[in-house]
Amino acid sequence: MNKNNTQTNSFSLSNDKVSATILLVPALIFCTIFIFIPAIGTIVGSFYSYSLTSMNNWKWVGFGNYIKATQDEYFWVALKNNFIIVFASIVLQVGVGTILAAILDRGIKYGRVIFRTIIFTPMVISSVAVSLIWLIIYDPNVGILNAIFKSIGLSTPSKGWLGDPNISIWMIMITAAWQNTGFMMVLILAGLQGVSKEVYDAAEIDGATGVKAFWYITLPMIRNVLIVAILITTIGAFKVFEFIFVFTQGGPSNATQVLGTYIYLQAFNLFHMGYANALSVILLLIALFLGWLQLKSSRKA
Amino acid sequence: MNFLKFITKKIYLFIFSLFLSFGFITSSYAVDITIWDLSGRNGQDEFYDNLNKEYKKINPDVNIILQTFENEAYKTQIQVALNGNDGPDVFFNWFGEDSARLARAGLALDITPYANVEGGYGNYISEGLSNTTAVNGKIYGVPNTSVSKYFHYDPAFFEANSLAVPKTFDDLLNLCRDIRAIDSSIVPWPLGNSERWKLNHVITMLNQRVVGEENTAADYNLSASEDELFTNPAYVEAWQKVVDLQDAGCFQDAPNATHPDLTRSMFASQISPMIYCGTWCGGIFNGEGFSDFSYFRFPEVVGGAGAATVGFLVPSGMMVSAKTAHPEIAAHVASFMVSDDMALQAAELMGFMPSNPTKIGEMSNPTHWFNFYVNDIADKTGHVNVLDVLLEANVSNAYLDMGTEILNRTKTPQEAMDFIRQVALEAKAAM
Repeated sequence: MNKNNTQTNSFSLSNDKVSATILLVPALIFCTIFIFIPAIGTIVGSFYSYSLTSMNNWKWVGFGNYIKATQDEYFWVALKNNFIIVFASIVLQVGVGTILAAILDRGIKYGRVIFRTIIFTPMVISSVAVSLIWLIIYDPNVGILNAIFKSIGLSTPSKGWLGDPNISIWMIMITAAWQNTGFMMVLILAGLQGVSKEVYDAAEIDGATGVKAFWYITLPMIRNVLIVAILITTIGAFKVFEFIFVFTQGGPSNATQVLGTYIYLQAFNLFHMGYANALSVILLLIALFLGWLQLKSSRKA
Repeated sequence: MNFLKFITKKIYLFIFSLFLSFGFITSSYAVDITIWDLSGRNGQDEFYDNLNKEYKKINPDVNIILQTFENEAYKTQIQVALNGNDGPDVFFNWFGEDSARLARAGLALDITPYANVEGGYGNYISEGLSNTTAVNGKIYGVPNTSVSKYFHYDPAFFEANSLAVPKTFDDLLNLCRDIRAIDSSIVPWPLGNSERWKLNHVITMLNQRVVGEENTAADYNLSASEDELFTNPAYVEAWQKVVDLQDAGCFQDAPNATHPDLTRSMFASQISPMIYCGTWCGGIFNGEGFSDFSYFRFPEVVGGAGAATVGFLVPSGMMVSAKTAHPEIAAHVASFMVSDDMALQAAELMGFMPSNPTKIGEMSNPTHWFNFYVNDIADKTGHVNVLDVLLEANVSNAYLDMGTEILNRTKTPQEAMDFIRQVALEAKAAM
C-alpha cells in the first residue's frame, strides 16, 4: 500500500515537473530570443569596434571600449546625471508622493477621489506627449512659465529654462516629477490604508498626533512600501530616455546627457556601436544590481 | 464508368489549366520597387502617385511603393534597414559624408554603369551634379534637388524704417543695432538653435567667407597633416563673428532653448524683420500667411578669404541599396525621378529646386521665391556643403556642440577650436 502511494506521489511529482517545464518553455523561448541572445550579443559586441554601417568589419579591441569609458568625460557626466535624477526623483516623486498620500489618507475628509484622480492623471499620458507640452511651457519666447515669472516681477534665465546647462536637468526633473508623483502617491496610499487605525488610536492616547504620529507611526509602518517605491524610482531614473531625448537630446553641451541618450548618440549618431555596447553593458550591470535589490526588498515587503 | 471518365477528364483539365495559369503568372510577374523618403513634404503623395502611373507606362510590371519616415527617425532607420534584408530598393539621402559612408560600407550600389543607358540619369543631370555623390570616382546617387539658404526679410519694415539690405558682415551687425535702436524688443534675426543645426548653417557660411573654401578643404576631409589640422586662426575668427552677432543684439535671448519652427513663425508673423532660412522656408512662410518677403545672400566678410559669390548648397536625392534584388530597375526608377517631366512635377508639386532644369520654364505660376532661389543658385560661382552633412560624424558633432557652447558663452572661440581640433585629430587617427 505504502509502495503504491509512494509510486503515485513520485508519478504525480514528476508529472508536475513535466507540466511546469512545458509551461515554462514558451516564456523561456521568448526570453532567449528577446533578452538573452541580444544581451549576449551586446556583451560580445562590447569587445569589438564596429559601426552600424560596417557590420561585416568587426575589429577586436578587448577591454578597449571599457577603458575608453573610464576616460570619457561625457560618460561620467551622463552617469552623474543619472544619479542626480535618482536623488531628485526620490525626493520629488517618493517624498512628495508620501506627503500627498498622507494628506489624502488622513488629512482631508472630502474630495479624496477627485484629488487622487487629478494627481494620478498625468501618469496615463505618454512621456513624449508630456515632454512636448512642457516644451511649450518652458519656451523662453512664448512659454507660460516665463510669462508668470515676468508678471510677478521675477527675472527669467537668460539662456532659457532648457538652454542653461546649470538648470536644464532640474527642469526636466520637475516635469518627470509632475508625471510620476501620482503613481507613487497611489502606491504609498495603498500602504497607508493597510495601517490599522487602532495603532493611531493607541498613539493618540500616548500623545502622538499629527506630524508626530506620521513620523513615528506611519513612516516605520510603511517602510517596506517606501523601499519598493524608492527602488522603482531608482530603476526608472536609470532607464530614463524619452524625457531627455524630447527636451534637449542631451544638450545643451551634453549637460543633460544620461546613459540612455549617450548610448543612442554613440551608436546612431557617431557610429561607435562597439563603444555603445560597452556602455550598455555597464548600464545592464547597474540595472541588474538594482533589480536584485528590488527583488530582495519586495520579498521582505 | 462514364462518370469516372468524366471526373478524370475534369481533373486533367484542371491540372492543365493550372499549368497554363502558372506559366502566365511566371511570365508576367510584377516587381515591387520600394522607395524610402522623408515624410511631410507638400505634394509628396501626388508626386509619387504620378511617378507610379508614369513609370507603369514604360514598365507596366513595376510597382513603386513609397514608405515615408520622419526626418530624425529616418537617419537611424535607414542604416538599420540597409544592414538587414527588408530594406528599400531606392532611398533618400543627403549627399556628403552621410552618403559616402554608406558607399564605403558597401551598402549603397555603384550606379555608374547605369548613367548613360536608355533612361539613365546621365541623360538628365549634369556630370558635375552627379559627382557630388561620387566616392573614389564611382557614382552612388541621383541628386533630385538641392537646398540652399538665404536671408529672408520683410521689405515693408525695411522701407518704413529706412533700412538697407546689408552688403557686408559689418553692415549686418549695424543693421541689427539699428533695428534694436528702433525698438529694443524687436528681435532682428531670430535664431532657433535647440536642435543645434541652425547655428551650424551660419558657421558653415562664416567659415567659407572668413577661412575660404580652398583653405577649409583639407581640414574638412581630414587630409591635412596633424600639425596643421584645424589650426588656421581664421576658424577662431569665424566663431568670433558669431559672438559679434550676439553682441550686436541680432538674436533673441536663449537661442539654444528656442525651436527653429518658432523662429520661422516669428518671421512669418512679422514679429521679426529677417531670418536666415533655407529654400524650403518660402513655402512655409506662405503657408503661415506671409508672402511679401524678399531675400539677400549671406553678406561678404571684408578681408575674408572666401568669395561672396559662393553659396550654401546641400544636394539630396536617391541612392540604390546594394542589396536590392533588382539593381537595374531600381537604378532606372531613381533615374526616372529626374527625367524632364518628373523633375518638372517635383518642382511644381513639392517645390524642389530640380537637378534637371530642362522644363523649368514650363512651370505654371512659379512663386517669386522659387524663381529667386533657382536663378540665384545658378548665378553662384561655387557652393559649400553644410558642416553637419559634410564632416566626419565626430567632428560634425563637435562643431554642433561648440555652436551651443559659443552661444551660451561657456567656451571662447579659441577654446571651441581647440576642442574641435582635438576631436579631428582623434577622428583622423581612427581612419
